[in-house]
Amino acid sequence: MFSYILKRILYMVPTLILTSILVFILIELPPGDYFESYVNELRAAGETVDPKLIEYLRTEYGFDKPIWERYLQWATGMLVGDFGYSFEYELPVNEVIGDRLFFTIIVTFFTIIFTWIIAFPIGIYSATHQYSWGDYGLTFIGLLGLATPNFLLALIMMFLANEYFGTTIGGLVDPQYIGEPFSWGKFVSVLEHLWIPVIVIGTSGTAAMIRRVRANLLDELRKPYVTTARAKGMPEFRGLMKYPFRMSLNFFIADIGGLLPTIISGAEIVAIVLSLETTGPILIQALQSQDMYLAGSFLMLLGFLTVIGVLISDIALAFLDPRIRLQGGVSR
Amino acid sequence: MRSGDVNREMSATPLLKIENLEVSFEIQGGHVYAVKGVSFSINPGEVVAVVGESGSGKSVIAQSILRILPRNADITAGSILFNDPNDNNEAIDLVRLNSKDQYLYELRGGRISMVFQEPMTALSPLHTIGNQVQEALVLHREKTDAQARSETEEILRLVGFPNPARGYEMYPFELSGGLRQRAVIAMALICNPAMVIADEPTTALDVTVQAQILGLLKELQKKFNTAILMITHDLGVVANMADKVVVVYHGEVMEAGSVHDIFRRPRHPYLKALIAAIPHFEMEEGERLVSLRSNDADQSNKTIHKLAAKFKAPDESKTKGPHLIVKNLRKEFTSTKGSWFGAGESKKTIAVDNVSFEINQGECLGLVGESGSGKTTVAKLVMRALEATSGSVSLNTSNGMSDILALSGPQLMEFRRRVQMIFQDPFSSLNPRMTIQNILSEPYIIHNVGTAQKRQADILDLLQLVGMEPHCLNRYPHSFSGGQRQRIGIARALALHPELMVCDEPVSALDVSVQAQILNLLNDLRKELGLTSLFISHNLAVVNYVAERIAVMCQGKLVEIASKEQLFANPHHPYTRSLLSAVPYPDLDRLLDFENIKYSSSMEADDWGDVYKSSQDAGLESIKVDEGHFVLANCNCNISELRP
Repeated sequence: MFSYILKRILYMVPTLILTSILVFILIELPPGDYFESYVNELRAAGETVDPKLIEYLRTEYGFDKPIWERYLQWATGMLVGDFGYSFEYELPVNEVIGDRLFFTIIVTFFTIIFTWIIAFPIGIYSATHQYSWGDYGLTFIGLLGLATPNFLLALIMMFLANEYFGTTIGGLVDPQYIGEPFSWGKFVSVLEHLWIPVIVIGTSGTAAMIRRVRANLLDELRKPYVTTARAKGMPEFRGLMKYPFRMSLNFFIADIGGLLPTIISGAEIVAIVLSLETTGPILIQALQSQDMYLAGSFLMLLGFLTVIGVLISDIALAFLDPRIRLQGGVSR
Repeated sequence: MRSGDVNREMSATPLLKIENLEVSFEIQGGHVYAVKGVSFSINPGEVVAVVGESGSGKSVIAQSILRILPRNADITAGSILFNDPNDNNEAIDLVRLNSKDQYLYELRGGRISMVFQEPMTALSPLHTIGNQVQEALVLHREKTDAQARSETEEILRLVGFPNPARGYEMYPFELSGGLRQRAVIAMALICNPAMVIADEPTTALDVTVQAQILGLLKELQKKFNTAILMITHDLGVVANMADKVVVVYHGEVMEAGSVHDIFRRPRHPYLKALIAAIPHFEMEEGERLVSLRSNDADQSNKTIHKLAAKFKAPDESKTKGPHLIVKNLRKEFTSTKGSWFGAGESKKTIAVDNVSFEINQGECLGLVGESGSGKTTVAKLVMRALEATSGSVSLNTSNGMSDILALSGPQLMEFRRRVQMIFQDPFSSLNPRMTIQNILSEPYIIHNVGTAQKRQADILDLLQLVGMEPHCLNRYPHSFSGGQRQRIGIARALALHPELMVCDEPVSALDVSVQAQILNLLNDLRKELGLTSLFISHNLAVVNYVAERIAVMCQGKLVEIASKEQLFANPHHPYTRSLLSAVPYPDLDRLLDFENIKYSSSMEADDWGDVYKSSQDAGLESIKVDEGHFVLANCNCNISELRP
């Protein structure tokens, strides 16, 4: 088992190197650079720029150097935690992201928990009562959630919250707490605002999750070992939890790998509509304005989280499923 | 006198009494009755067999007793009275109980337990054997963990686990099929129930393992005086196990009685037909199986005769001698543990080990062996579906013997026309998205034979040849029964006028009655078309019915080859003998010798006598013991040592 984990960690190295090369090529691909789009923007606004200043900035940030040299600088910088400089914010990338990462993780964490708490019981009910009115009704509601555009739901929820609870519109805290150090009042204010994005982002995820829990569990419920458990006199619910439900969890564990990257990049549009202080909107803006180090670092972070996520699900799967752990005649 | 007879006198009230049971299934647009008024009873310690074809409702009866029917099934009438010998209360009608009644949960696994057909899927792959076996004990008898564990290990020892403590910790996928089924039996017996329902307990097992499992069931049944309700389609198993037999057909009891009445004096035409449809070893030369629902066999015979000339392989001036020669064939599979760094360890498995045989022109050679013995690999090597590691396969053609393994390009394509295969599973061997028309024209398209009109005419003749109607051309495989699909598979194989036919377990997925039809069809076709064939099967009776010579394979080696008369009358190799002694005959005068099977099983090469093992200075060699009768033995041995 230990050698398996070690091997998996070693595999991550070439994967990440390849990812960083791809990311760098991608952000270099669009014609021009940040300064060009900056100049265009200023011109569109009717202002003039000194070409000498731009030229100076280009040399300053090393844009005259060959591409591989810039790649190496960026890639080696990341190893020591230096993700480069954001031109737009005129701050190191670390500082731009760092602030918002905290809020992002809070929102996503609660969203995921919300999704699971709602989706699992409903999915299990739907599977065990297949084709009943309950199944159809819950499926219908779930599909409604899936079909409603998130930004629309966000607007409606925001209106309702303001109308009935007096919550300020947008953001994750009341305006008075912005920039303040953390206090009890700020914490309560965060919780007050949190439920809207959690529900909005959660609904579509919940609906999809319900369908998958239902489908996976239904597959397992038809297996003969379920009959075996019943024939042994196992009470229905205990048997359900011990055998088919546990088997159906494999898909879910394999999914954890995909969950991690959504922590920083999920639900951008909702975040913009609700003006949440999360990382999603920054990523979109960075891509639009060709703020290359900011965008590149973001993509790299996503890649890293994906690789870590897959590692975690692989290890968890191996722990939970003896067939994976002991395959190929591995001695134990 | 059988054990059941004693008990019947001792206890007047039966353990379980089923009366007029009716079970209906709700399907789209109505109800279908799977069980229509079935009645029978089981006495304490008695073995009752319920026999029938698939779809006869026998499994539904079993599920009704434990009330574990699928959700769309409903018991609409009748009663199931269970009279627990452990308490003196009145019999309880299981049908009347509410489906959530606590008594039902105590009954299941506690008083009546079940053994399932497929031990791999009946056990959860994620839980250890010990965990699953002791579950009933934990549920029904309040035991501490230590007690439960020691009792579980005790029952595992009893069902024949060589190392119960280790077996307790193992997962089902780490065990062989036989051990898995032993674990399932242990699971059923651990609470010492009054009755065990065994639903096709040995159908998924090899014949020698089957004999052992049957012996084990019988032994434990006597030891604990447990009643067994045995559900099976195999009359051979019935004859060896049952005290009483209930024959069901389409949800109704056709005939019921003691095992003697059923086998010595079958009365109902269905039962008589069922017995006549099974191939057995005493068949006369040329005797035909009587198919259960025979659709005028003579007629189809005439059709085949009429069309035979058309589908015969083109005549060639062949050299004298065998049609196919396989010499020192060897196939190794290497499995490499995947690794990006370094080469990784590779593990070699020898699937086919130095196999040699010949098939004469127009002859049928039967290849017998248990699962994993390498018989299908041999077939694939002969077909050139796999590449051999070493050895040679040569086919008799107009240019003399040509080496099949060296063919390539157009010659290989030409060879493919000569050799065709019939597959085991009629469900997965036909593409579900192609119509029968497409399936049957594909061989012509691939080999670019004939014009569109000519092909169409050929396809229609093909259908007639295998006894199908022309109107099924536009239908898809799913609309046909297993037997019809197998006919389509045969038609596809015959399309290119092959001269060698490789049949890989062509009837093992079919019911007894359909099996008889397909075997008769294959026999007729083979004789009329003059086909040479290699017929692979694990069922010795089937091979005996179709083949002229039989080769026995074990662990990749061909251990014995002889004409079928020689092999059955005078088997030499210990493996062949144990194989023959393990076949359950549907005949009360030739019952299995369970004691003998238990103690002298020769499945493991270690148990064979020294003359059958290779030694340091001498390998194994095929030794001639009689005209056309060869046995694999140590090449230094004396022929007289080989006489059994």
